[in-house]
Amino acid sequence: MLHIRGLGKSFHTASGPTPVFDDVSLQLQPGEFVALLGESGVGKSTLLNCIAGLERADRGSVAIAGTDLSGLSDDGCARLRRNRLGFVFQAFHVLPHLTVADNVGLPLRLLGRPDADRVHTLLHAVGLDGLGERLPAQLSGGQLQRVAIARAVVHAPGLLLADEPTGNLDPTTAERVLALLQTQVREAGAACLLVTHSAAAAARADRVLRLTADGILPFTP
Amino acid sequence: MSLLPASWAHIGPVIAPLMWPLMRREWQHHPWRHAVALLAVALGVALAYSVHLINTSALAEFSSAVRTANGEPDLTLRAPQAALGGQAGFDDALFDRVAADPGVEIASPVLEVDTYAQAADGKRVAMRVLGIDTLRAAPLAPGLLPKPASGEGNLVVLDPDAAFPNPAARDRLGLADGQAMLLQAGPAWQRLRVAGTTPVGGAPLVVMDIAAAQQRFGLQGRLSRIDLRLVPGTQRAVLLARLNLPAAVQPVAPDDAEQRVSNLSRAYRVNLTVLALVALFVGAFLVFSVVSLSVAQRTPGFALLGVLGMTALERRAMVLAECAVLGAAGSLLGLALGAGMALGALRFLAGDLGGGYFPGITPALHIGPGSALLFAALGTASAVVGGWWPARQAEHIAPAQALKGMGLVDTTAPPAWPGLALLVGGTLAACAPPLFGLPLAAYLGVAALLLGGVALVPCVVHAVLLWVPPPRGALALLAVQRARFQRRTATAAVAGVVASLALSVALTVMVASFRTGVSQWLDSVLPADLYARSAGSSAAGEQAWLPADFSARAAAIPGVERVLASRTRALMLASDRPSVALIARPFGEPADPAQALPMVEPPLAPSVLKPGEAGVYVSEAMVALYGAKTGSTLLLPLADPPATARVLGVWRDYARQFGAIAIASSDYQRMTGDTRINDLALWLAPGADAGAVQQALRSLLPDPSMLDFAASADLRVLSLRIFDRSFAVTYYLQAVAIAIGLVGIAASLSAQVLARRKEFGLLAHLGLTRGQVVAVVAGEGAAWVAAGTLVGLVLGLAVSMVLVFVVNPQSFHWTMQLVLPWGRLALLCVAVLLAGIATAAFSARSAAGRSAVLSVKEDW
Repeated sequence: MLHIRGLGKSFHTASGPTPVFDDVSLQLQPGEFVALLGESGVGKSTLLNCIAGLERADRGSVAIAGTDLSGLSDDGCARLRRNRLGFVFQAFHVLPHLTVADNVGLPLRLLGRPDADRVHTLLHAVGLDGLGERLPAQLSGGQLQRVAIARAVVHAPGLLLADEPTGNLDPTTAERVLALLQTQVREAGAACLLVTHSAAAAARADRVLRLTADGILPFTP
Repeated sequence: MSLLPASWAHIGPVIAPLMWPLMRREWQHHPWRHAVALLAVALGVALAYSVHLINTSALAEFSSAVRTANGEPDLTLRAPQAALGGQAGFDDALFDRVAADPGVEIASPVLEVDTYAQAADGKRVAMRVLGIDTLRAAPLAPGLLPKPASGEGNLVVLDPDAAFPNPAARDRLGLADGQAMLLQAGPAWQRLRVAGTTPVGGAPLVVMDIAAAQQRFGLQGRLSRIDLRLVPGTQRAVLLARLNLPAAVQPVAPDDAEQRVSNLSRAYRVNLTVLALVALFVGAFLVFSVVSLSVAQRTPGFALLGVLGMTALERRAMVLAECAVLGAAGSLLGLALGAGMALGALRFLAGDLGGGYFPGITPALHIGPGSALLFAALGTASAVVGGWWPARQAEHIAPAQALKGMGLVDTTAPPAWPGLALLVGGTLAACAPPLFGLPLAAYLGVAALLLGGVALVPCVVHAVLLWVPPPRGALALLAVQRARFQRRTATAAVAGVVASLALSVALTVMVASFRTGVSQWLDSVLPADLYARSAGSSAAGEQAWLPADFSARAAAIPGVERVLASRTRALMLASDRPSVALIARPFGEPADPAQALPMVEPPLAPSVLKPGEAGVYVSEAMVALYGAKTGSTLLLPLADPPATARVLGVWRDYARQFGAIAIASSDYQRMTGDTRINDLALWLAPGADAGAVQQALRSLLPDPSMLDFAASADLRVLSLRIFDRSFAVTYYLQAVAIAIGLVGIAASLSAQVLARRKEFGLLAHLGLTRGQVVAVVAGEGAAWVAAGTLVGLVLGLAVSMVLVFVVNPQSFHWTMQLVLPWGRLALLCVAVLLAGIATAAFSARSAAGRSAVLSVKEDW
């Protein structure tokens, strides 16, 4: 599902290019749940952005479901994200002026196939039955993250990118949300790359990797 | 006792150390944006201040000239300017009686004659002649006294051939001491010798000996006024009772002359000032837009300050203080600009500003600290008012949520009552009668209507969106839901568009109504092919006249089919008001379009006249100023005792703001014995050569320059050209207002984009392309601009009705019919709508930028 080869990225500053990471290679198979650890500032989020086509890498290639991102325009990357990717963020990022159901159903509408039943099913699956018409401001943090997870999988993406999805949650809620995320990923048959600082979260993964300045290495506790 | 709540007392020490460094950094980061806001305030202040300076300077100069010419008497006995028995003024026999009264210390007789002088190029120059008794005038009007030229003896002031023109007259006529000066007296020129000068300022004027003036202008035994210095302790009422003045002679206090001068241009000055203040009003909207954007950009900073302990009130005070600094700086710049503009206008436009009220004067700039402070305060206040809403936004920031960077959802519907209350209050104020003779309440009403309309924008957006079903498409859903839930934001975004479009619609409708009215009026009052006149003003008609038989001689000229002759003179009905115009002309068959007046309503039949009464038709200004409604009676000081005239009807007159009375020539001649004429309307035979007719008419006079001609078509074109030139400033104001409204849209949407950057970043993650993100923001903008356009149009139509039906009649005492130029209004609305959507799309580009995409990972 995801094939990264020799990826390198630098930021250009006044004092010259500052390398973020170099020679990153990684493959994820459908249904695989992989955790990525790394120190702050090592470029975990930048790597996710490069995978999603939101940032261009300086070197190497990223392919999703066989499509090489380097051959796509910005709009092409956007369409790829729309079809193939799902996102879960640390800060939830639900749209405050849409109802919970509209937030969850947004990816389906973007694909031109709104499906109220599918939204209802997902809301049921994440334990938000009966809250579809509420506004996000009326939900707790754990509920908001469940909305985000439902939105991330509602259109059955092939790859889920989760960036610190439990960073804003207490340990108990974090555990529940992570379990839910894993369940949804498994049911959807998607691959998931989970960026986290949490050892507990990483422990749920099929594989645990560590991002360093020199590339991706297997994590050894 | 402080005007501020006690909780504000401690704010100064808290925000002062923070404000300067933060404000400096903000201005350094966005110098152009703040410079534009500062410039908007500066231009508003400059425009208003320069108009004020020009008006006060011109008025002061004009009043000073009037004061110098009138001197400083305790009391003046004055005759109406029209004739008594066909001659100007009153019998000088009154002078002996007045001078001999024990209550009178000094009496100074004066003869005033409005006529023409001949310039070196043969053209006529309007000239006022003052005939005085130098010895008697010296103590009362020292500024008027002639100064003999070098080589002339002191007794030259009594020389019947000596003339003493003031500097303006010498300049216009190119006269030097010893040269001949030609003054028109009827159809002939009187030759005088320039024997010195008089220091009176203002318009061209010449002083000469009163006896010579009476003789030269055929006014033997006539006086225009007697200036009096009273014996100390003399009571005016007792003196006047003792003098038992003839009915046509009016006692006039010195203040009345100044009041008359002020009244002459007051409505014009006030309307011009209000128009200039509109620029300041619009400037406040620009401040609003810029400060809104600035607050949105600094929301994280304010949130952090909030977390660190700055209270909500202190945040509001800080933003307001920044606005006050911006306003004060803009005001100072505006005062300097305004003074410079006024100086230039006084030098190049002579202070007239297009109204024609202060002809022939070149005033010096009068700057007073009071007015400078007032306009600086207005400019500062406009900036503070403009910053009020953004300051409230800064106050209401929820630090925790703002630090997370997500926009807030305000699901509560804003209350409609403040907007409705303003609309009701504005409507009531617009219906109120004039205050101090001016439409001040109506202007307040217009302001309240505009503010009320702006306040109701959220409700209108809500109402409009009620009709929109929930869209199925993602982009439409995002745009509609956002617009629905952010109704309050809509006010901020489209307030400028609502206000500017409303002003533009109102000005467009008012100008179209006025222009249509003037055009129809010109068709009505210019039925002939050719017009000839001997005097350009009714006052000058006293001397620049045509003999009674001129009409018959003109009719005999080959090519002339018909002639209608009239006599126009000035008539003073109230000592503190400008003279009205008396037009004596034939009234024949009412159905005859050549003799018809543009009546406002069907007139009464002449059969209602009682024996001894004359029937007159008055202009609308006569109704407003003198209560001369149809059926009422007027006392015309044309005879002694004054003649009674009954008003048979009211006609529309866009030429004479202070009133006009049309009377049948036969009645006028019966009352006065004056058979002279001033104006001729000539109908030419088909194929007649107008040039040849003019030539033949001129040949009937001793000097061809004594007759001015204009073809009907030329007069019409010229009148409409002057009209268009006078109102050109309104198009400029409309353009500026709409530009500022669009800047408001751009600034507000940019602020929104900044505040919601994480939302747009999320949409990019969800797969929206750049174009789709732009489309979402532009869609929201389109919904708001559409609502703003709708409100602006409706509001503009309401304001235009106030301008047409209230402000114009209360200011200038004439009415017009409402004309709605739908084509132009539709174009205006569509242009604003498209420009607003384009501006929204332009502002939305940053929503799809990289910084927005990456902002989902920002902590704040």
